Amino acid sequence: MRALCWNGVNDLRVERVPDPTILGPRDAIVKVGLSSVCGSDLHLIGGYVPTMRAGDIIGHEFLGEVVEKGPEVTRLNRGDRVITVSIIGCGKCWHCRHEEFSLCDNSNPQPAFEEMAYGHCTAGIFGYSHAFGGYAGSHAEYIRVPFADTNCFRVPEGVTDEQAVFVSDAVPTGYMAADMGGIKPGDVVAVWGCGGVGQMAMRSASLMGAERVIGIDRFPDRLRAAQMKAGAETLDYSRVDIYDALLAMTGGRGPDVCIDAVGMEADSGASALEDWYDRGKQALRLESDRPAVLRQMIQCCRKGGTLSIVGVYGGFIDKFPMGAAMNKALTFRMGQQHGQRYVKRLFEHIGKGELDPSYLLTHKWALDDAPQGYRMFKEKADDCMRVVFAP
Amino acid sequence: MTGSRDGRRRMGGRRMEGSAGALERWAAILGGTALGYAGARRGSWALAALGGGLFLAGAAGVPLSSPLRQAALPALRREPATTQANVTVAVPADRLFRHWRNVRHLAALFPHLDAVEVLSDTESRWKAHGPGGVPVVWTSRLDKLRENELITWHTLEGADLPHRGTVLFRPAPGGRGTEVSLTLAYHPPGGEGGHAVSRLFGMAPEQQAREALRRLKRIMEVGELPTIDGQPSGRAERSRALPSMQEVTG
Ligand SMILES: NC(=O)c1ccc[n+]([C@@H]2O[C@H](COP(=O)([O-])OP(=O)(O)OC[C@H]3O[C@@H](n4cnc5c(N)ncnc54)[C@H](O)[C@@H]3O)[C@@H](O)[C@H]2O)c1
Ligand SMILES: [Zn+2]
Ligand SMILES: [Zn+2]
Repeated sequence: MRALCWNGVNDLRVERVPDPTILGPRDAIVKVGLSSVCGSDLHLIGGYVPTMRAGDIIGHEFLGEVVEKGPEVTRLNRGDRVITVSIIGCGKCWHCRHEEFSLCDNSNPQPAFEEMAYGHCTAGIFGYSHAFGGYAGSHAEYIRVPFADTNCFRVPEGVTDEQAVFVSDAVPTGYMAADMGGIKPGDVVAVWGCGGVGQMAMRSASLMGAERVIGIDRFPDRLRAAQMKAGAETLDYSRVDIYDALLAMTGGRGPDVCIDAVGMEADSGASALEDWYDRGKQALRLESDRPAVLRQMIQCCRKGGTLSIVGVYGGFIDKFPMGAAMNKALTFRMGQQHGQRYVKRLFEHIGKGELDPSYLLTHKWALDDAPQGYRMFKEKADDCMRVVFAP
Repeated sequence: MTGSRDGRRRMGGRRMEGSAGALERWAAILGGTALGYAGARRGSWALAALGGGLFLAGAAGVPLSSPLRQAALPALRREPATTQANVTVAVPADRLFRHWRNVRHLAALFPHLDAVEVLSDTESRWKAHGPGGVPVVWTSRLDKLRENELITWHTLEGADLPHRGTVLFRPAPGGRGTEVSLTLAYHPPGGEGGHAVSRLFGMAPEQQAREALRRLKRIMEVGELPTIDGQPSGRAERSRALPSMQEVTG
């Protein structure tokens, strides 16, 4: 089959690789119909995740059809139209049973990296480096899904492929970000990053009863989508001082909930000190995680408010304003998405017309054009929110 | 307070050592990240991996200067002769106890074990292999058995790998299942402790104990060992060998 392989930093190629086969009794093989890019892939492509190997197939947000299943798969059938959650749960460990699927004890076949770096290993993720299991990704004609009964979900009638594909990743991630915010009536929610994840976080915050939602980015098309599609007010961080603007919009209180939908490659704007510091880091080539958004959220957040972090971090951050966080009594919530927990609820919202993620799909391209697709997505060119490949 | 001059000097010495260690660790973390980044930039996987390794080693507090000098990361750590690993398994203790009690099941837990042969109620013969297929053989005798709680054993005279072992099962709080702890104490003839074990198996004893419990957990919880062996990648199509160390450093 054809698949998109990572061969080094900014080096993606579509190659011929063998077809996947069933390797465990609870595996299924899915024929990929749609497979989307995600901001997380940019961290791999940029070389910020150290355990990629040349030849790894990437991609983790996808929809397709079950074409083969192992003997212990009971809830799925050949021909089912399914989405698969990007992060793999075994369904049996304590964390999976408590719906913390991304903390699964068992789905990562190569736990040593994470055990060393993080103290414990977390779940395996499709196409997301060997530290996270080394599973082959979905930018391919076929993909093997382990523990298929836990990780594949049939798409209900009436939900289109273009809506459903994002229920793999962007939708549950945004929804979980809002959920972790513990939004109460009257709350003002600010969302940093208006990519696919941020858009879904904004819409979910409204669904959960936020009084006002504010989206922050610098790309006009994304800010426009945040207003028109997600019902948010917007701020362009390249034009206004975010702290001043947020305080002006909230009577000096600051947002009750601050959501990070940007992660480790945040654009460092703002203060002279931060600029000087980041330049220094860059000169020494020590940039791993850039915490500009985190710092800004801590500064802006209401006293006693909540920071909900779904933007991905991999290693270490410097100059973390712990004093401000502690003295302002902030709550931190974070994590990789536990998508399996939310899929049913999300399909209900979509079915009722309360949520329509299909606008994230700005481009549908052939798999053969995936390298150019990623270039466009990385540069945020041609108003690209998400380019989705159809093998 | 430590009034004596000696005491203070000793403390100062220790503090110096401590901060040097911390410095080295941070240098490894940051250097590792930079290397990983640079490696990935240059499309050199091995350099990136070396960076990643440094990063991980740094994060884990592994002392690095000597391995660094030898440009071989995981090599030559002094291993203790006794090692312990712990894991919580989401099944009741009696099931774990019964599983472990059947020594034939244990072959699947230790990476280098080929076969376990039952000789009697209390004795079993173990066959493992080291690098290059060198056979490593021993006979093990059960010492203590407390139903659903504890099993201990030791090897008999003439073992290639003399050791004692204990596995303990105790209920985890809050319905989390069972806490399992495995202790292995090695007594190789040369008195080199765990180092000899590392040499025999190319894997440190603590890694082996941890891996054994991880496999136990996965077998008991999900009934299989998750794997990626046999899945497709762009590597299968290429016969390009991994770059050598020389290419990386040169
Ligand atoms: N937790 C999870 O399970 C999970 C799942 C999917 C994605 N993610 C992460 O979520 C993040 C967003 O993903 P995406 O697909 O939307 O990515 P994306 O690249 O499409 O969007 C990121 C957006 O952040 C904006 N941004 C950069 N710096 C900023 C700043 N200083 N202030 C405000 N906005 C800034 C960019 O302009 C861009 O529009 C990534 O870090 C991704 O890895 C996490
Ligand atoms: Zn993603
Ligand atoms: Zn699990």
